[in-house]
Parts: sequence; C-alpha cells; structure tokens
Amino acid sequence: MNLNINGKDYQVDADPAMPLLWVLRDVLNMTGTKYGCGVASCGACTVHIDGVAMRTCTLPASALEGKAITTIEGITKGNELSAVQKAWIEHSAPQCGYCQSGMIMAAEALLKENPDPTDKDINKSITNICRCGSYNRVRQAIKTAAKNLGNTEDQLLGSL
Amino acid sequence: MANQKKERSTARKWTRRAFIGVGGLAGVGLVVGVGGYMHISSAVKKYSGKGMGDGNSMNAWVRIAPDNTVTIAVARAEMGQGVTTALPQLVAEELEVDMNSIKVVSPQPESPYSNTFLVTKNRPNAFKGYDLLEKVYAFLPVIATGGSTSVIDAWTNMRFAGATAREMLKTAAAKQWGTSLVNCKAENGYVINTATNDRLSYGELAEAASSIELDELPTLKKKEDFKIVGKPVKRLDSFEKVTGTAEYGIDIRLDGMLYAAIKHPSTIGAKIKSVSNEDTILNMPGVKKVLVLEDGPAAVVADNTWLASKAAQALQVEEEGGDVSISTEGILAQMNDLLKQKPLKITRNDGNVADAFAQEQANTKTIEARYDLPYLAHATMEPMNATVLVKDGKATLWCGHQAASVAHTMVEAVSGIPKKDITVNTTYLGGGFGRRGEPDFVRYATAVAKEMEGTPVQTIFTREEDMKNDMYRPMAASQFKAKISGDGELIAWDNKMVLQSCSNNAMGRIMPSMATAPADDETTAEGADNMPYVIKNQRVAFNDIQLPIQIGYWRSVGYSQNGFFAESFFDECAHAVGKDPYEFRRSKLGNHPRFAAVLDKVAEISNWKTPLPEGKYRGISLVKSYNSIVGEVVEISKQGEKEFKIDKVYAAIDCGNVVNPDIVDTQVQGGIIFGLTAALYGEITWKDGQVVQSNFPNYEMVRMGVCPEIQVHIMDIDEPPGGVGEPGTPPAAPALANALFAATGERIRTLPLNKQGYKFV
Repeated sequence: MNLNINGKDYQVDADPAMPLLWVLRDVLNMTGTKYGCGVASCGACTVHIDGVAMRTCTLPASALEGKAITTIEGITKGNELSAVQKAWIEHSAPQCGYCQSGMIMAAEALLKENPDPTDKDINKSITNICRCGSYNRVRQAIKTAAKNLGNTEDQLLGSL
Repeated sequence: MANQKKERSTARKWTRRAFIGVGGLAGVGLVVGVGGYMHISSAVKKYSGKGMGDGNSMNAWVRIAPDNTVTIAVARAEMGQGVTTALPQLVAEELEVDMNSIKVVSPQPESPYSNTFLVTKNRPNAFKGYDLLEKVYAFLPVIATGGSTSVIDAWTNMRFAGATAREMLKTAAAKQWGTSLVNCKAENGYVINTATNDRLSYGELAEAASSIELDELPTLKKKEDFKIVGKPVKRLDSFEKVTGTAEYGIDIRLDGMLYAAIKHPSTIGAKIKSVSNEDTILNMPGVKKVLVLEDGPAAVVADNTWLASKAAQALQVEEEGGDVSISTEGILAQMNDLLKQKPLKITRNDGNVADAFAQEQANTKTIEARYDLPYLAHATMEPMNATVLVKDGKATLWCGHQAASVAHTMVEAVSGIPKKDITVNTTYLGGGFGRRGEPDFVRYATAVAKEMEGTPVQTIFTREEDMKNDMYRPMAASQFKAKISGDGELIAWDNKMVLQSCSNNAMGRIMPSMATAPADDETTAEGADNMPYVIKNQRVAFNDIQLPIQIGYWRSVGYSQNGFFAESFFDECAHAVGKDPYEFRRSKLGNHPRFAAVLDKVAEISNWKTPLPEGKYRGISLVKSYNSIVGEVVEISKQGEKEFKIDKVYAAIDCGNVVNPDIVDTQVQGGIIFGLTAALYGEITWKDGQVVQSNFPNYEMVRMGVCPEIQVHIMDIDEPPGGVGEPGTPPAAPALANALFAATGERIRTLPLNKQGYKFV
C-alpha cells in the first residue's frame, strides 16, 4: 500500500488489515505514536488524517491510501516546535509523557478547527486518558497555544 | 599496600579512583570509621561509567566532557515524577553549572546508586559513610524507584556528588595556576581566578580534576544560598516528550528485531500446559514461533506486535490447575468472617480500648461502621514490555523498570548468564505507580529471548493481558468503633482491617529475601495506625487473608485504603456529635504543629469557614504518608439526582525542603487525580477465578471533562524533604466521600461511586 505520512510517500508492505498504529510503529519505526488500549478508547495513538484527529489502533492502514497522514513526528517544522508543543513545555504538561503525543495531536486538531476553545470545547474534544493526571496543565497549555496562535495571526493581519 | 588502602579510607579521600572498583574482594578498603560507621569502600563504590559518554568522571554521578557537557547519572526511573530534573538540580546547585548544560543518563545498576533509604528508612549520606545495614543494601545493590523515596535518598548524596566534583575542579585549576584554592571560584561551568580573572572551563579541567584527592568533604550550601534547588526549573525531559522522541521500553527498535505477545492462563493459579493449534498459528504469515513458557503463559513471536497479539489471542490452549472458586463475593464473605476473628497483629494499642467502651458515661455516643474497598489495577498507559537480546553468552535488556537491579537479577535467573555479562538499559517509563517494580514482564521477555537466541525480541502484554494479570492494590475491609463525648472528645477508637499482605506477596516476587511475614508487614495498617490525632484509647489491628491473587504496591500502598477508611470514619465521628469536620480534626492535633499548619492552610485556601452557596458542598481530609503531610478539601456541586461535578480540589502539602515546586505541584495534582479515578470508577472484580475487567471501557479513568481544577499550596518549611509522588493520593477519596456526605447525608463506605449510582460530569 501507498501511504503519505508527514508529506512523504511510503511504499508499505503489510497486511491490509493492519491498523495504521502498527504500520507506523513496527513497519516504519515511527514510534512517537503510542499504543495504549487497542480499542480506540485512550487516544494515545491519535494522528491526523487529512487534518482530522483520529485514533489509529483500530484503523486499517489500507483504508488511508491517498490521504494525508500527520503524526507527532510531522508536527515539528524543521527544528521549530509548533505553538502547541511550545506551550506544552511552558506549562510542563508531560509527566511520564506516554500519552502526550496523542494529547498534542488532539489539541493541534482542536485548535485548527476552533482557534479559541472554551473549557467546554476542550472537555468535549480532548477525551484522551492521561494516567499521570496532567489534565490541568494540558488545559492551560491549549489556552496558551490558542493565545499565541491568535497573536501570530493578529500580527500577520496587522502586517498586511 | 594494605596499610595504604586503610589510610586512604580513614582519611575519607574522595577520588575517582576510590570509586572505581579495584577488585571484587569483599572487605577491601572496608574500614570502620568514627562512630561505628563504615566508610564506603572501593569495592562497594565501584561503577563502570558505562553510557556516560566522553570525558572524565569526578565520581559515580558526574562526568564532564571536553565540550563542557555535564553528564549526570540518574539511577532512578523517570516515570513522570521528574527525577531526571530534580536529581540533576541537586548536583547542579553545588557543581555551579547551568541546568541546560546537563545531559542525563541512566547508569548500570551498580553499587553507588543504591536506594538505601527505600529499605533502611535512614536518610543516607554515602559520602560521610554508611552503617552496616546501608552498606549491605548498597552492596546488593538495591537500585529501585518507589515509596516516594528518590529525593529523600538523593538530597544529601547528590549535593555531595556536585560539591566534591566542584572542589576537585577548583583544586585542579589552583594547581594549574599555581595559586591558592581560596583564589578559585566556581561559577557557571568555569573556575575563575579571582586574583587575575583568568578562567578555565570545567571541560578544560576535567581530566586533571578527575585524579584529585580531597582531604575533606566540602560544606554544603545553606538553603538561603540556593539558586537552582527550590526553584521551578523547567523539566529536562519535556522536549523529548512533546516531540515523540522520548524513548520508552516499547519504542526500542533494533535491527532484525521480532515482537512477542504473551497470553497468560485464563484462570488464577493455572498454567498453560500445551497449545493445540500450533500448526494453524505457525501458518499465519509472519508468525515465527509459538512458545509455552515455564510458570504459566504462552507466547507468540512474530514480525510485528499486532500480528503477535492477534496470534496469541488465537492460541487454543490447555490449562492445568487454577482456582475457579475465586470470586469477589466469596472474598468479601471471607473478609467479613475474618473481621470477627482474633487479629493476627495489633499494631497500635494506646490506653485501654475495652475499658473505655465498657465504661458507662453520660453524654457520649458510640458508633460503628464497616468499610471495604476493591482490588485496583495500575493501568499504566504503556503496557508491560521488555526487550531482550541473548547472544554469545551475553544478554542485553532494554526496559523501563522501577528497579533495574531486580530486572538485572531476573535476566540472570532466567538466562543463566552472570550479571557481569548483562547490560541493563533503562528507558523512560510510560507510568509506573508500583507496577513496574515487578519482575514478571522481564522474566517472560528473557525466557522468549533465550528461545530466540541471537535475535532481539520485544515482548509485550496487550492492554487486556496487562489489566487481567496485574499485581493489584489489595481488596480490603475495615471495621470501626468509636466513642465520642458530646463536646467532641474522641474517647476510644477501635479499628480492625483485613487484607492480603503486600510486603509478603509482592516482595516474594521482587526481592524474595526481603519478603516479610504477613504479621510484620508495616504497609497493612499504615494510614490507620499512625494517624496524628490525639485519641486516648486507640487500638488498630489487622488480620491477614490468604488468597492466590497477586497483589502489589499501588501508588500510596496501604495509605490508599486506610486513608479512605480512617479519614471517612473520622468524619463520621465529627458528624455524630455535630462538630465541624475541620474543627473536629483541628482540636485533636495539639502536639503536631506541622499537621495543624497543613490543616489550617488547606482550610484557609478553600475558605472553609465561609459557607458555600446552595448546591455546593465540601469535604476535608488529612493524611501523612511517605514523610509528607497532605490536607485536601474537595468541593462539589449537585447537578441532578446523584449527579455531581467536582468543582475544585484544594491541597496543602508539607514535604519539607522542596527541590522543584513546579514538579511538586504536578505530582500532587496527579496523585489527587489518581485517587479520584479510584473513587469514581476503580474496581477489579473476580468471577470464576478470572478478572472481569479488561480495558479502559470497563476500567474507566478520570478524563479532562471530569477533572477538577486543583490548587496546591506548598508549605515553606526548612526540614529534610519528604516524598511527593504518592502523598497526594490518600486524602483524595475520603475528602470526596466526605463532601458527598455533606451533600446527600449518605455515608460512602465502599468504592467505586459509579457502582452506587453516582454520576460525575
């Protein structure tokens, strides 16, 4: 199968039923996306499919041919962290960190769709499990990222 | 020669050479020093420095490269609690280096890194000398992370590691400049000649410094001079953890590596005897091997995790043994029976409880209540796994383990390869909470790798296998009786509990030589027999229950049950005589000023004395665990019939001196959420000898939408540090249950709450 991941095409030889999570992790050795439950409950395996946050532990990779797949590895542009990643560091959101790739991917997708999410919006879209209990820091980081992204946009608009 | 060694040891010369092993002979350099202490001998202090990169070692913890990179060995598992930031802070403070110049590595499980506090409860000072017991545990060594001990254990040792290295660097500079040591100042990675303003970087000095011998130990800085310790330094591991580059055990990828999935026996105590469909499984393209392992499980080796898991699930196995009679109802009935029987052990017996209850007194109330709590799974986000390569008589382990020395021992036991030929690579841990101190997953991974000699194999438990084969927080029942006077004096308190013994059961697997008899297990009644309250007549006792269920250390261990039991029943006592739960507690802390200060602080920040608006309620609790005192107030609002929102949790913690207040804040928050998750949803039940729950849909967690706002206040106290990983957990469930009582008048005597019809939004 042919997969487009982080802007790059990959020719993958794998069972068509194999979930994208395992194609990423075990076939392509892209281990930033995590296995947590295998039943699309915890969100550790969240990536973007055409910009939409999806849980990939139950999603056959073969169904994703022709779609743009973005993983945590594709969020960093060169050496530049995204606004979400920077906010995550500013608020020391990760503890053990295992769920954070999925959290960040969910947050990135939320902010694309809703640049100024309320607490309720955050509650509704960030349903990932963090066993360490980083939720309040994650919430703060999302708000900081929203603010910083907004500022960037304002600056861009202002410079026009 | 022997005399020379003796002289050096008694002179307490701290040199790199003194740390490096000069031979494995027991007793070499083992000299009794002043006060009966034995100074650390070269034999005990040996370390390889393996994996610490370029440069020169100043001691077991500090290596400095020519490019000025400071490599610090952190031999504690990073499982979210921030040890890879906090421990380097202690070193950097004394070494006078910027936190950004630090690279953290996980060393091999070697003697200098032993966590002696974990086992001896003596605050260690390896640089000044160990007593005999500490020396034994350093020699074993015990490289383990648990019991909220890392900072307590490191507080003195890691600062001396930095301070001695700094003095060695200064001495080397003084020699090079031909000046006196008093003219040399260490600052931000340089030694500066204060007379001439010449500077030499640590990188330039490292080689010469590494052979310097100090005549005496340097004096450690005072708290008021700290620039790094006590400051909210940013975590060193965040960058890796937000970019997906942090490497957990499950992320290890090696050339030619295969993946194995474990299938445990379905019934407790059973063993898989044989596989009847091996041919079918081996015919699945990509499956390499089907194995029946000693001690019960089977495994399938394949070229990816997904296939291995699918194939393991499809195994048709014949099991032998097993106890299908095990059920939660049956265990509860047994516990109720044991509650009525003579206790195995009375752990506290103040005054005369029997007399106090027997005595007729006007204006008193006697109340009784029975509580119970279920088994709980750890449910770390990263399921159990380990990667092992057995090749050419050597073995290599890659694993996120809480106890590298335990993992080391297990690889040796299963592979038959001596420890000196085993390399232990400790990765980040995707959560630990006690589960990753167990050796089971290392055992199976080694057994698989041994069968696949020459090929590295990553062996994992699927989420379902992980949850159904955990070493659970024990189920427990607790019976209380109290006599309270009308004016609020707690005249008598009688408490008896029944549960399996953690230190008997878990230590039997982790370090068998340290397993205690159930009667001697101090974790069983912890939180029940060490309450701070003044109670004249007080008896706490327990009975052991023998069951084939594997139980283990679960974040806050005995405090997790007894904190809930005791702090809930204490609330019952307050309400029985119409007293305010805060005032009732406060009136019984006479001789415990630190407890009183914490309780007052949490009452203050939560505005306890100001009534809440209609529909809002709160509960309070206070528990000391792991050398830290935590008070919590939980505020809830009613949303509907038995439907609540947890609006806010207030916490005050006295954990003595703080290394990193930002990490303390996140640890207390995390501990509270861990406790609330258990209170709301946590329950592992048994039916026909099998665990019912299997994955998050039936073992739910607090998620963003239910998670309350949390405000943590850290007390400013200049006392030795306490733990912070666990102490936030025990007060959470009782504070919530006490709030629910305030709201509904219904006393919560068992958890989880969802089972009793409570809903949280």
